[in-house]
Amino acid sequence: MVQIENLVKRYGDVIALDHFNLQVREGEIFGLLGPNGSGKTTAIGCMLALLKFDRGSVRIMGEEMAPDNYRVKRQIGVVMQDVAVFEELSVYDNIDYFCGLYVSDRKRRRELVEDAIRFVGLEDYRKTYPKKLSGGLLRRLNIACGIAHRPKLIILDEPTVAVDPQSRNRILEGICELNRQGSTIVYTSHYMEEVEQICTRITIMDHGRSIASGTKEELKRMIKTGETISVETGMAEERLMNRLGSLPPVFDVKYEEGMLVVRCTRSEGSLVSILKILQEENIPFGRVYSEPPTLNDVFLEITGKALRD
Amino acid sequence: MLHLVKYAMKTKLRNFNNVVFWPLVFPLALATLLYLAVSGMDEADFETVPVAVVMAQASADPTAEAETDGNTGPESNNGADPFLLFLDSVETESDLIRTEEMFWEDALDALENGEVEGIFCTGAAPSLHVSGSGLPETILQSLLDSYMEGKQTLEDIAQTHPEGMEDALGAMENYRPVVRQVSLGGKTTDGTAQYFYALIGMGCLYGSFIGFQCAMSLQANLSPVAARRCVSCVHRLKMIAAEAAAAFGIHFVNMLILLIYLKYILRLEFTGSYIRMVPVVLAGSMIGVAMGLFVSSFGHMKESVKIGILIAVSMAASFLAGLMNPDIKNAAEQHFPALRLINPASLISDALYCINVYDAPRRLMTDLIILFVMCGVMIFGAFLMVRRERYDSI
Repeated sequence: MVQIENLVKRYGDVIALDHFNLQVREGEIFGLLGPNGSGKTTAIGCMLALLKFDRGSVRIMGEEMAPDNYRVKRQIGVVMQDVAVFEELSVYDNIDYFCGLYVSDRKRRRELVEDAIRFVGLEDYRKTYPKKLSGGLLRRLNIACGIAHRPKLIILDEPTVAVDPQSRNRILEGICELNRQGSTIVYTSHYMEEVEQICTRITIMDHGRSIASGTKEELKRMIKTGETISVETGMAEERLMNRLGSLPPVFDVKYEEGMLVVRCTRSEGSLVSILKILQEENIPFGRVYSEPPTLNDVFLEITGKALRD
Repeated sequence: MLHLVKYAMKTKLRNFNNVVFWPLVFPLALATLLYLAVSGMDEADFETVPVAVVMAQASADPTAEAETDGNTGPESNNGADPFLLFLDSVETESDLIRTEEMFWEDALDALENGEVEGIFCTGAAPSLHVSGSGLPETILQSLLDSYMEGKQTLEDIAQTHPEGMEDALGAMENYRPVVRQVSLGGKTTDGTAQYFYALIGMGCLYGSFIGFQCAMSLQANLSPVAARRCVSCVHRLKMIAAEAAAAFGIHFVNMLILLIYLKYILRLEFTGSYIRMVPVVLAGSMIGVAMGLFVSSFGHMKESVKIGILIAVSMAASFLAGLMNPDIKNAAEQHFPALRLINPASLISDALYCINVYDAPRRLMTDLIILFVMCGVMIFGAFLMVRRERYDSI
């Protein structure tokens, strides 16, 4: 569906995209994950032929993407990172306007607009102007404007930024529903939980480069971390840290703000071994957490920094 | 296309500042203030212009050609001098001038003392002597110009159809000067109308705010909505055409409202037909919008900077067209004649003059053609910038 090869984009001396590659298959929800400034929005801009790039190619639906490739553009729905709606138009008119850019038949358009309004749950706000909508409702309107014409490919650039949890869940559910209805989704975010929750395949970006790609399971298998065990405790002496570090599956032990964090490779019995050492050392402890690896662990291991930074 | 125009209209009409306030409310308010200011001023200031008339033989003025018909002083027979007949006719039929025959030296003294505003010297080549450059002097000069145009006609008739001279002289007596005392709302004279011409010019140029809004919604690097529209499947040219059409339409209506306000609310009676002023405000509306599109499409300046530039350009153009002081327009035209041809406000004001004062259809047509050409150039320039398909950054 989307194929980006060796894309290079410079802003003066800054390299925004550094030989960036991407492949999105038809029918999937593809996640583009990376911290702020990693080049996600620039990649989307180049993909949509909005931005000039220095090198590389972008093909969508088998065709070279160009500003005047209106045939391909007709099949694409875009939800921009910044809310792109007219302040001067009501909710209904905004959706009708953007839908009308693709669908000229008035009757058909009316149906599509109503569907989009129902889809994002803005039935009670048809005549409301954007200024009167909350951040979450505004984001939903932004999405409705992007998807009302039922495109084959939907590109959502950080659609949940500054959105309340209720609206966020609704948006994420909606994206999955669109995918079930047959749309291919490209979803960019710096929230790893969202990407992990809805995406079938993921590319992690940093400094304009694609640093890892695959399903979330494939990505997690790429790294050493198999389990992260966190233990709430008031003390952690050097002797304890050394004993924990000498356990075969353990490769990293840290004590931060009352939490002992032990990272282990994939193996069974790590938790039992750790708790046994704590008992032997007479270390009192509270709650204990055991977490499978996250995309943050993937990012952390590859880049040396947390995705949240 | 209709869908695009419909929503372009809707979005623009709801944008109070850029579409309603600056291009419509502001000129209406200014027109009201101007009306209050100049109507009072003219009521107080305009008086019949006193002028001295010096007979040819009584004149020591070396520029006046002496005649040898025996007339020697102010009380002599003036029946044979067509210029005197002409002045008598003007004096009798209007309150525009009050003549007094004098000797040259007395006339000079009267001029210096401010008892008269000018001195007419009769003879084969009548002349005018003034000491200032205000409205009275302009009226006197216009009278002389009018006479000289008629005089040339008489000479032409004398050469080609001498048998028609009597009739021509008869017609000369009924000659109507170009400069007449005309009532604007029953209180003002022609001199104040030029403020309103410049004001209409300014109103037209304030269409640039609507053009500004168009540019903001067309260039992906200027607003998220514009970026969103750029990635849609509508051809760029179609999008620009729809925006420009809506903007022209709206601003043309704005200007018609201004004209209607001047005619029916302020009750200003320009001498020319209001209907003939419509094509001028149409061209003016287009140039205003085109100017806004052009300036706003240029570069990556902040929104506030672009608005500042638009206000500065519009006000400077209106200033040079005589909005604040009509003498500025005259001075600009005298010292920089080319300025009139590149200043849209001057062209609009001049076109309105052509309708209401000069009755010069050829000059009016030239003004309109220049306005349309400028409009075309600006729209094309804006199109070249706005149609840009890919951006360095957004």
